[in-house]
Amino acid sequence: MKLIVGNKNYSSWSLRPWIGLKAARIPFEEEVISLYVEGGREQILRHSPAGKVPILIDGDVRVWESLAILEYAAERFPGAGLWPSDPAARAHARAISAEMHAGFAALREECTMNFWRPPARRALSAAAQANAVRVQEIWVNARASYGAGGPFLFGTFTAADAMYAPVVQRFIAYDIEVSAAAKAYMQAMTALPAWQEWRRAALSETWVIAKFEYDWPEVKRLPAEAV
Amino acid sequence: MQLIIGNRNYSSWSLRPWIAMKVLGIPFEEILIPFGTPLGNPAFRQRLAAYTPAGLVPVLIDGDVHVWETLAIMEYLAEKFPERGLWPAEKKARAEARAISSEMHAGFSALRSECPMNLRRPIRERALSEAARANVARVEEMWGDCRARYGGPFLFGAFSAADAMYAPMVARLNTYGVKVGAAARDYMETMMALPAWAERQAEALRETWIVPEDEADWPTVLTA
Repeated sequence: MKLIVGNKNYSSWSLRPWIGLKAARIPFEEEVISLYVEGGREQILRHSPAGKVPILIDGDVRVWESLAILEYAAERFPGAGLWPSDPAARAHARAISAEMHAGFAALREECTMNFWRPPARRALSAAAQANAVRVQEIWVNARASYGAGGPFLFGTFTAADAMYAPVVQRFIAYDIEVSAAAKAYMQAMTALPAWQEWRRAALSETWVIAKFEYDWPEVKRLPAEAV
Repeated sequence: MQLIIGNRNYSSWSLRPWIAMKVLGIPFEEILIPFGTPLGNPAFRQRLAAYTPAGLVPVLIDGDVHVWETLAIMEYLAEKFPERGLWPAEKKARAEARAISSEMHAGFSALRSECPMNLRRPIRERALSEAARANVARVEEMWGDCRARYGGPFLFGAFSAADAMYAPMVARLNTYGVKVGAAARDYMETMMALPAWAERQAEALRETWIVPEDEADWPTVLTA
């Protein structure tokens, strides 16, 4: 099985299935294709007609879209616990995952994922602030209802955590004020070995994409050895 | 089981699980909460808050389980009614069905904002931006590819959740007279020939609420 991902520093969609598979200990190979470079789009189109990363290749099966990849992996590796085993918890996990998949446009637009950005506060629009409030509400509600068995949304790590992983990074990089409960959840996420592995790789990348660098033409970045 | 929906004429998200359940023979009651104006008004939000924390329709209620987000509702139904064929039975087809369903769930924003679903609007061509035309091209490519490989008449042979996800797209392409190839037109005719489609269309035409944000010709409101 092979996962094709975009830049680890910037590609939030790629992080989702990658950390989902890693945290669930599902083995896979990976290929990194930089976004927005000459020939990058053609390279991606060779793998998927939708022209977007991430893409999972498993024999003759090609799956694109993060949520579809996580569903595929959950079916293929039923013992990996990618979804909660209780039906009500599973329905809740899928609802908040789908909410992430299609929502929070203002927050995503104003705070693009950027691992090497030294944390610095960014003023948010009212819409993005409302997004940040709703994300924390989702985290706190899931933890309160289903999180007793561990530090993640449904206790143990699930696909829902994978879907929210990039938001954790956005909250850190743009120094968004969060509640203590949200902070504790973010710390559980960043303590994952898989998180640290992705972060190390992101900080070592050399591709710079101007439109994701808010201080452009200056590129502020944490040194790779800061990991 | 109850499905909370918005206006039948305008709510594209509500149409998706509604048509899936109708076509696949899953019984449910409907609870309609009219959008009102402007979109996102406090009265609508307040009525909906009784059913979902996310503030969006549709919502499926099954005993004490409340599921919001269309895709999550489809997955819930697929698990609860495994014999109904919400997803294709074959693994590869199922993976693709989920991929294009997700693609619909989060994509095609230009086309969606330029051509809001409006079942009672008479068919009139509308000029599209380049981004919306690219969306149409991708939709046509995907439909053509799925039907060629899985034999049609629906995207994966028999009707599945993926068709339900694209039902509003069929309505948009039809209403705004978007030029599509013969294969896409054939798929649209297949969808619009479903008895559930006629039922929904008739119900939409009986509604009298007007939502300006979803009237592409505003302040003109075209009606058949």
